[in-house]
Amino acid sequence: MKQPMQKKQDPLNLQSLPLVSPPRDGWPVIEAVLRREQRRRTALRYAGGALALAASVTLALGLVLQRPLSGPVEPAPEQSLAQALPSTQGQSGVVDGGAAPETETLNVMIALSQRLEGRLRALRSGTGDLPARAVVYQVELEDLVAQVDEELSRRPDSLPLWSQRVSLLMDLDRLYENRLRREYRQVASL
Amino acid sequence: MTQSPFDIEVDQITLAQARRGSLPACERIFRWFQQPAYSVALRICQCPDTAQEVTQEAFITVFRKLRQYRGDAPFWGWLRRVVVNHAISTLRRSPRAQELEFQDYHASSHGQQEQLGLAMDLEAALASLGDEDRAVVWLHDVEGYGHKEIAEMFGKTESFSKTRLSRARARLRSLLEGPGESIPGEAPGGKAAGGIAP
Repeated sequence: MKQPMQKKQDPLNLQSLPLVSPPRDGWPVIEAVLRREQRRRTALRYAGGALALAASVTLALGLVLQRPLSGPVEPAPEQSLAQALPSTQGQSGVVDGGAAPETETLNVMIALSQRLEGRLRALRSGTGDLPARAVVYQVELEDLVAQVDEELSRRPDSLPLWSQRVSLLMDLDRLYENRLRREYRQVASL
Repeated sequence: MTQSPFDIEVDQITLAQARRGSLPACERIFRWFQQPAYSVALRICQCPDTAQEVTQEAFITVFRKLRQYRGDAPFWGWLRRVVVNHAISTLRRSPRAQELEFQDYHASSHGQQEQLGLAMDLEAALASLGDEDRAVVWLHDVEGYGHKEIAEMFGKTESFSKTRLSRARARLRSLLEGPGESIPGEAPGGKAAGGIAP
């Protein structure tokens, strides 16, 4: 039964013709193309990481530079936090000098907090769902922010509270930033 | 059913590695399929250099799109389709001067008309067919594609595939039987008698 079917399919027995070997080995050309593409993808991935880093630096710089030029030398955001947060560990008084620099630092913290809120809004809408473990962390952080906000409603001028708020928002920001970076890597690897 | 020269099973580990961009895995796949891929490209394009280019381009496409291969059909079938599509598209871009080659073949056999039919082996007969006729008869008879699939590849109707197959077979038969019995005055790939192939 098999033979007649074969005959019908290939009555001239073209299948009997042997396979032909190519005159040259084609692999080196293919390999070169694939390697070049892999290098380009890797470069893109690094560029993505560098872009995200540059964006973070730009944001930090923008936040630092937004304060009036006439004011005292502004510490880096992390330094502000480091100076402001000790009060939460039982120490008081954060910024050296009189009341004016403290008010200024408070204003910087409030502005920083607002900026971070805006950035978080954008990040939330721009990224996909967070992984389950990150969601747990996110909920914890947001609970803490809510507690700080409650405290702030009673003591709106508390620099330690604003500093704490900024610190929590920065943690949230990192969470979304990591998610965004991961998504970028996935897109770049396609 | 015709057994295609492409019918080689690729293990899942090699496929997964190639999907992740492993060059050794890609090379293994290339080595397994290089000969059938080149052979089908050569049968369709009838030019060794073009066939080599088609084969390389097809493999590059395959490795680029490997993530799109879902594994619901045999890998070899998917790869073969990519090679055939590349070959047909190359054929469309630069069809060879088929008539000239056919006349050269006759000219080289001048003075040996009696032996022409005997001397002309299947390979040469195939090479003397028009591009589309040769491609259709090869894809149908050797690779086992149906008329519907062939029509899709060429962007034409099924009757195109059937007519071409019928014509190609008739032409091959006449060439293999001998010059005296070939259809007089008919250029290869030109119109020939013959009904619709099954």
